Amino acid sequence: MGAERTAVIGVGQTRHVSARHDVSIAGLVREAAQEALDDAGLDWGDIDAVVIGKAPDMFEGVVMPELYLADALGASGKPMIRVHTAGSVGGSTAIVAAKLVMAGIHERVLTVAFEKQSESNATWGLSVAMPFQAPLVAGAGGYFAPIIRAYIRRSGAPDYIGHLVSVKDRLNALRNPKAQLHLPDIDLKTVQESMLLWAPLRLLDVCPSSDGAMAMVIGSEQAAAAAPGPVAWIHGTAMRSEPTMFAGRDQVNPQAGKDCAADVYAQAGITNPREDFDCAEVYVPFSWYEPMWLENLGFCPEGDGWKLTEAGATAFDGDIPWNPSGGVLSSNPIGASGMIRFGEVAQQVRERAGDFQVPLKTGKALGHAYGGGSQFFSMWVVGNTKPES
Amino acid sequence: MTRFVENSIVFPYKRSLGPVIGAFMTGLTEQRILGIRSGDQVIVPPLEWDPQTGAELDPDGMVEVGPAGTVESWTWVPAPSEQHPLGHPFAFAFIRLDGASTPLLHAVDTGAPDALRVGARVAPRWRGSRVGHIGDIIAFVPGEQPEVDGPDSGPAEAPVTMMDYNASITYRNPVPPVLDRLREASRDQRIIGQRCPVCERVYSGGRGYCPIDAVELGEEQDVDLPHTGTITNFTIVTPVQYPGQTETEPFARVFVLLDGTDVILPYQPVVELPVGEVRVGKRVAAAWAPPNDDIDDAGAMGGAYGHLIGWIPSGEPDVEDPDLVNRIF
Ligand SMILES: [Zn+2]
Repeated sequence: MGAERTAVIGVGQTRHVSARHDVSIAGLVREAAQEALDDAGLDWGDIDAVVIGKAPDMFEGVVMPELYLADALGASGKPMIRVHTAGSVGGSTAIVAAKLVMAGIHERVLTVAFEKQSESNATWGLSVAMPFQAPLVAGAGGYFAPIIRAYIRRSGAPDYIGHLVSVKDRLNALRNPKAQLHLPDIDLKTVQESMLLWAPLRLLDVCPSSDGAMAMVIGSEQAAAAAPGPVAWIHGTAMRSEPTMFAGRDQVNPQAGKDCAADVYAQAGITNPREDFDCAEVYVPFSWYEPMWLENLGFCPEGDGWKLTEAGATAFDGDIPWNPSGGVLSSNPIGASGMIRFGEVAQQVRERAGDFQVPLKTGKALGHAYGGGSQFFSMWVVGNTKPES
Repeated sequence: MTRFVENSIVFPYKRSLGPVIGAFMTGLTEQRILGIRSGDQVIVPPLEWDPQTGAELDPDGMVEVGPAGTVESWTWVPAPSEQHPLGHPFAFAFIRLDGASTPLLHAVDTGAPDALRVGARVAPRWRGSRVGHIGDIIAFVPGEQPEVDGPDSGPAEAPVTMMDYNASITYRNPVPPVLDRLREASRDQRIIGQRCPVCERVYSGGRGYCPIDAVELGEEQDVDLPHTGTITNFTIVTPVQYPGQTETEPFARVFVLLDGTDVILPYQPVVELPVGEVRVGKRVAAAWAPPNDDIDDAGAMGGAYGHLIGWIPSGEPDVEDPDLVNRIF
């Protein structure tokens, strides 16, 4: 890539819950950032720049988090950048931070993403009426439900496939003490009997509403050498976007997602994602997005994603575990959710994932985020070995 | 002349305050102003972290300052808006409270600007009923002695941990000419679309341009659209309650492809169509409310189609087309 070798040298996150009334927003981001600094063996003064991200401003009514949070993140006298790409923001924020190191500009960059959904209501935030437009009173689930229906009809998938994902990710979350939802008794029947929220999505097919923050310290090769623990080397990063609505757009299998995956795979030398990765953390806020993204990300031919899910390939003990942490379906502080995906794969290749550690064979893993109306994509590949160049 | 319509976005946010800001707000209900120690400095209002070093500040190091202080700088507000703290002309000032190292920004009520100068001594005028909000101080007034406005209802019964933050913003939206034509035609229950002169696609919804050919669609491209169409996709929403949500029961939102058009109308309401009977391929017809003048943001398209309120079953047989379900936008 012609870039400096760059690694994740520290990771921290909050325990995700539905409402953190005991801390301010600043206190929430600080918790994650402090844990990442401690993990990297660094202090606030060691950080060269801060890059933060959060989901759309209406979700909390905080319009300039970069201003409000500068002191909480020790950013005085340092560059501070805010990144803004809807639900994918956690991923793109990490990528912006990584690029500052890859470009040789900074040695150690702190990156943080957060959401405190309890301060507002995201369904309201996505449903604000505008003149001369059909009011979207349906929230994110109402937006994605028709797209999921189109996928089901197109692929011929049986109607329980989504529910299988809902069960699988929640069982994975039982291994993750920081996940919000711990539902030990969940099974197919529980999901099928949960309330129909946005047909065909049932309550348990949908991510929760969370307060939480995620942070990473990203460092140069020199910073990585000085780190007290193992690091996760960044083997590729990519972002793509496309308009939400245009005639002929494939909403189910967006071109931007395919292009983004092809780009990041080429950088990281990935030719067969199902074999070349040990695991993937993929943004699946609604259960059906697992089979849809399996196809979009090239883990199988188009139309076959649901077969991988049904066969258990993506389960914790499957050949390609997806979301061993429990995923977005188990914790969704929206602005942080993408960075959690990126950070959890870093923890996997560092062998720091605790009870949800997957066995390492190739030592590589994929982190993925998407946002808006499936119009922003961000992805990275991390590995336990230094990239060649 | 361009016509404008206003719309307001309003939401009652909540703020959890954390240990430091919470203690400050609790102090306000007790008519006490608290700062926090950072080295030999006392920061007012208190911060959770030192603004220079990022070091954590200890909530046990909170100290009372004031109540009086000295004006360090000020600016006069001659014509307050409804979002200002006072309804009559006043000053915003930096006030260094006695014992504080940093100034507090607040309103100073002197009646006229010539009564104010840098170095002036001011003290708080407390609200009689206090909730744990910076507005518990109505304003600072000249002198050394704090005042209470009206009967004093005393301090908060429990520590203040949360704060209401009622945000609102009002936009003035310019109305494109095409939407005015649509709206006027809707008074006669006509649905206007536009045909692109290049690709001949027919657009519903008042787009005003063809995104394929990047050409503007003017009045000469207007065409009357049929009042019947097909549901291409839909969602049934079980409403969650939030401020402003008026729905209480599961409801349908459907995408309608009007006959002879090339783009769908998104998220349309249905009329006399039970949620259990909504399906892909179902034929529907336009349903209208009785006309009146007030149609700016009414109806199924936010006023673009006036009193078109939704779609009612037309009674025709379903359309069988496997590609229909992909017509989402
Ligand atoms: Zn055209």
